[in-house]
Amino acid sequence: MEDRALNEKESLQLISQMIQSSKQNLEVGRGNEFLLWGYTTTILAFAIFVLEWVTRQDFWSFGWLLLFVFWAGMTYFRRSKKPQVVTYTSKAINQVWRVLGYMFIITVIVFFALTYAFQASLTIICMPLSLLYIGIGVSITGIILQERCMIYTPLVAFVIAFYMLGVLAAPNITPDIWWNLYFGIAIILMQIVPGHVLNCKAKKVCSKN
Amino acid sequence: MFKELDPLLHSQLRLAVMSILLSVDEADFVYLKEKTEATAGNLSVQIEKLSTAGYISVEKDFVGRKPHTSCRITPLGRKAFEDYVEALKSYISNQ
Repeated sequence: MEDRALNEKESLQLISQMIQSSKQNLEVGRGNEFLLWGYTTTILAFAIFVLEWVTRQDFWSFGWLLLFVFWAGMTYFRRSKKPQVVTYTSKAINQVWRVLGYMFIITVIVFFALTYAFQASLTIICMPLSLLYIGIGVSITGIILQERCMIYTPLVAFVIAFYMLGVLAAPNITPDIWWNLYFGIAIILMQIVPGHVLNCKAKKVCSKN
Repeated sequence: MFKELDPLLHSQLRLAVMSILLSVDEADFVYLKEKTEATAGNLSVQIEKLSTAGYISVEKDFVGRKPHTSCRITPLGRKAFEDYVEALKSYISNQ
């Protein structure tokens, strides 16, 4: 392309051609971040379940804090690899997840503080609340990307979150190590399945273009 | 009466850059170069012209050790683009 003057028709053609070429709702690997988070969380959930099952020790649940290490690693990696283009779609999705991330951090801090203040184990509530936050995030991402599977699979996983909240509210039932397993299953539904669907669709869309 | 076409936008490469930046939030130099198929030298000259006119904002930083230039359309640039398209429409409808 050169620095030459255009006639009116050429100008309009060029505008439409450029807008079309930069318009992309789906790009290859869009689902990768979901898969990374999904597989890491699921493996951690199953590992904590097995370790608690075998050793009968509750302290393995502190293993969930490893997700913060993973989060820090992902943030560092993202900063060192700036994307070539930031579309309005990806900006909106990033902002949704940033807000949900802050909500998660606040939740963890508040419930750790309450656990310390009331001398009662309240941090377990972070589990159903995280499922709700992740589910809301995946659904909103699905709405922005117009991906039906992502909009509705979190609703199935919400049942697990509501079950957990119900158990916490009930006076005669207590959470058990199976919660780790339920959490892992919810993450498979909310992140791994939509992540693979998204990558498959992106591959198809990009191979057509 | 025809509206005058903005001479800054009425050029192939600058119009292409503005059209791309209108449809994304932010794009880097490499992306613009790929989409416009322009040479690096020519592209940087045109980006400089658009930036001097206040139509785009250019941010230069480093990602790792590599220099990184990202461009964004400004409200002034958006307005100029809209006026340019309006002027184009009036030309075409009167032909």
